[in-house]
Amino acid sequence: MSRSFHQPSLSAPGAPSPDVAAEELCRGWYEAHGVAVYNYFRFHVPLQDVAEDLTAETFLKLVRAADQFDSAKGSARVWILTIARNVLGDWHRRARLRQYVSLGAMHDLVCQAPSPEERLLREEEVGRLLDAVATLGAADRELIGLRYGSELDTAEMAHALGISEGSVRTRLWRALGRLRGVLAR
Amino acid sequence: MSGEEEVPRELSDLNRSLRGIRFEPRSSLGPELRGRVRRGERAKGAVTSRRVRPALWGVAAALVASAALLGTPHLPADVRVDRCCYDLDGGGEADDGVLVVAGRDEQVRRLSIYEDRDGSAGYSLGDLVRFERGAEPMIDVPLGLDLETYQFCCLDYDGGGFDDDGLLVVGRPPDRVVMAAIYETHRTEASAPLPRFPLR
Repeated sequence: MSRSFHQPSLSAPGAPSPDVAAEELCRGWYEAHGVAVYNYFRFHVPLQDVAEDLTAETFLKLVRAADQFDSAKGSARVWILTIARNVLGDWHRRARLRQYVSLGAMHDLVCQAPSPEERLLREEEVGRLLDAVATLGAADRELIGLRYGSELDTAEMAHALGISEGSVRTRLWRALGRLRGVLAR
Repeated sequence: MSGEEEVPRELSDLNRSLRGIRFEPRSSLGPELRGRVRRGERAKGAVTSRRVRPALWGVAAALVASAALLGTPHLPADVRVDRCCYDLDGGGEADDGVLVVAGRDEQVRRLSIYEDRDGSAGYSLGDLVRFERGAEPMIDVPLGLDLETYQFCCLDYDGGGFDDDGLLVVGRPPDRVVMAAIYETHRTEASAPLPRFPLR
């Protein structure tokens, strides 16, 4: 199989082969940030399968772009979420050509409910919240996805979005106010 | 994440509700991803913007015209797709993979379900083949009790280039696979009341 993995730092003499190094890089990043990326997508897309696919797409891109990461410019998580946002944008453009049917189950929801009935109620509650989020504008959804999906703090969100921390707070609270309005209808 | 104290009081309940939502990706996603990286699989890349599409159509038309003059470009007739790792035999471990040989985006010619014994996240010598079939979906045991179905959607299982294929496996836990098939999700009849996915 032909390979064209571009990461000069991984091809130094004595270093592991690019395949192995890339795999280790992917493993490390996925273990550290995979759940955050997945949850970011889950706040934006209704299907577990799609969120998994977008997460995989993000990490495949990350591995190929590894030599572009500069820790002096920000944390790995913010950089990874920036790529995830691009992947999501691509998906929105492609999704216009496809039809997705939600089966209504959230098998991937973390839930400590002791009984199936309580779990079902919890799934309905979360579904109602995320359905309401989906009715918001793209900018509001982005803020909510970054804060509650990927759990970025205000400073990280400001870096990812290229705005001040004060603007992040203001916009986020406004978005939540609009979300509260949707839920109250 | 910082800052419950930052939240305006009237939004604190909503903030708490949203913070309480967590999803967990399936445990096999990490190993599957590592396998894809190891095999040198590329991300699909950005979708072309609408603005450059007219120019690309022109290029495509020129290429088609060239191909007509020079003869049809040769593409491999069959593609080999290897996806790992899931729990396809009911054993409780996400250590099974599916190996598909198909005409590109067409009929499946061979399909195998294997247990990834060496943890390579792909088919390799020494892996245990649990099930193998040819071009037609078939079941190798009398239908009866104790059968379970497993379904995964959607990935590119037939080499067509789009993640629009589903994998359907029927097994008898903990280690028996009796049927496996691929289906294409976008080829539904618009007039059908419910989606129908022909098995391949």
